[in-house]
Amino acid sequence: MLRIKNLKCGYGRIMAIQGVSLSVRQGELISIIGANGSGKSTLLLAICGLLKTWDGEILFKDNDLKGMSPQSIVRQGISMVPEGRQIFAPLSVMDNLKMGGYTMYRKGLKKQVEQDLETIMDMFPILRERQNQLAGTLSGGEQQMLAIGRALMARPSLLVLDEPSMGLAPKIVEMIFATIQGLRQEGVTILLVEQNARAALKIADRGYVLETGKMVLQGSAEELLVDDDVKRAYLGKDYGNFYDGRD
Amino acid sequence: MQQMKNLTVEEKNQLKLERLQSTLNRAYKSVPFHRNRFIEKCMLPENIVSLSDIERLPFMNRSHLGLHYPYGLFAVPLRDIVRIHTAPGTGTNPSISGYTKTDLMIWQKLVARSLEAAGVTSMDILQINLPPGLANWGRDYKDGAENMGASVIPNSPLSLAKTLMVLRDYKTTTLVTTLAFAEQLMEHMFENERNPNEFNLKRIVLVGEPVGVEQIKNLEEHLHVDVWLNYGLSEIPGPAIAFECLHHCGMHINDDHILPEIIDPVTREVVPPGQTGELVLTTLSARAFPLIRFRTGDMARFTYNPCECGSSLITMDWLAERADTMMIISGIKISREQVIIYLKDALEASHPRCKLEKIRHGGTEILSISLVIDDSLFSDEIKNLEKLMVSTSERLAELTGVPVKITLTEKKD
Repeated sequence: MLRIKNLKCGYGRIMAIQGVSLSVRQGELISIIGANGSGKSTLLLAICGLLKTWDGEILFKDNDLKGMSPQSIVRQGISMVPEGRQIFAPLSVMDNLKMGGYTMYRKGLKKQVEQDLETIMDMFPILRERQNQLAGTLSGGEQQMLAIGRALMARPSLLVLDEPSMGLAPKIVEMIFATIQGLRQEGVTILLVEQNARAALKIADRGYVLETGKMVLQGSAEELLVDDDVKRAYLGKDYGNFYDGRD
Repeated sequence: MQQMKNLTVEEKNQLKLERLQSTLNRAYKSVPFHRNRFIEKCMLPENIVSLSDIERLPFMNRSHLGLHYPYGLFAVPLRDIVRIHTAPGTGTNPSISGYTKTDLMIWQKLVARSLEAAGVTSMDILQINLPPGLANWGRDYKDGAENMGASVIPNSPLSLAKTLMVLRDYKTTTLVTTLAFAEQLMEHMFENERNPNEFNLKRIVLVGEPVGVEQIKNLEEHLHVDVWLNYGLSEIPGPAIAFECLHHCGMHINDDHILPEIIDPVTREVVPPGQTGELVLTTLSARAFPLIRFRTGDMARFTYNPCECGSSLITMDWLAERADTMMIISGIKISREQVIIYLKDALEASHPRCKLEKIRHGGTEILSISLVIDDSLFSDEIKNLEKLMVSTSERLAELTGVPVKITLTEKKD
């Protein structure tokens, strides 16, 4: 579904991504893990068209995304749940969700938007409860649910999540991951970027480990979970001495 | 593990490219040997943007493994290593390879894949009989077969009679062994007038060397079994790099984990599709011990006929000739140079003149060395000379993993 080859991008002269290839197939849940500054979010920005220039190839359903605006990428079927939620704080919960359904609305699919609103509020009953409350007054976990709900309103074929667990209490993180897993079971293809490697791999089919802008490891979630490299990537520690611990 | 059955060609190539790139990134980052070779070519791993770009990288061969003895080619810290294997190598040092937990997991799956292709299921009883030089493979087959739930009788040194007893009484259905041992077993059975129908043996998985159609037919007819061939490397990274499936249409290479190339051993150029040449392998998923363009010395040819089994793995014919001077005895690769280096040391002779041959003695394959006796070797005490020969052959047998017999011959002027 999504196929990236030799992606290179960055900010000015800093190359944050140095030749990354990765792929997401229909129905898969893929986790990209890596330490702070490894380039995870930059990679997502490039996919979603929020980064103007990049080298390489990003194909989504065999369409080249090069030069496409973020809006047209959303229309292609990629929705992003950004890092730090970025909900519209002064708008109500309901209005936030409706904003997510904008592309559907523009296509004249008003009925579907109404239906989707119901489905999403069934999925997250707390959002129904607080539909008239201002989004900024929600708790962190609730805001994350709203952000996911808003992204789903566009009926994406690929849902991209950037650090959904960030700043949330462990119990809420568990709930958010259960929701993501639920979405996957319903057939949504998901690309998940996380620092919480263990949690992200537990629900993933496959995973990639990004280190300073380069892909250093990939494999099935089961393989990566037992890999010592993954623990190090998650902790953001580099290799110690070769004989470290076995002198 | 899926054999990439449901993937399109593009998806499969994408997967291989992703794995190749991260292998190169890891090797560059953690192994000075690989990093230096990139630097010599004024390249970075990110310059490899397609599978065919691998042709821009230099080759590795067996001598590199010995030169970086013991841990110089490891790409992970020692604390991540859970298994260390030794192979004889080609020079004074053996080749050491290591495996992380994930490496072992992947190898188990690859071995299981090759056994499944030969029809082995969790209902089978699998007996492993391999010579000491292939003991590493014995462990891999044990792990792979256990992983798929088969009952395993692990490799252990038993006499022929005892092996036969186990084979019959334990109702072994699958035997993993070398051609030499399978033939020895067959001869022993017929000498002792044993009927193959007394056994439950359904199949033999042969490892270690290419086997001709006639030899396979002979085994199948006499032992009433199906014979399957597996291709592997004893140094690294394991036994089931390529395997035959139920349709025997060549050997499927696990090219989702090991990228194969065929090169002209002289010009070192990649040969056109379908032509014969030396098999060169690059690991795509190995963590601890990445190999980049490793020259195997084995001759092969890619075949491009789609297999009825539906697997999208590349298939090859494994050919009898070799691209190097190594000998294969009981499935074990023996380096002539290494044997001569060893003889030089042991006999304190600067240029020992000798002839190395593979012979069969009592059903076993033996490395026979006819050593030309000269003044430096000659001793008026026959006992001393005999002692020297016995100790040398014992130590050589330990080094190579095959029985060694040294005979002295006269100098012919």
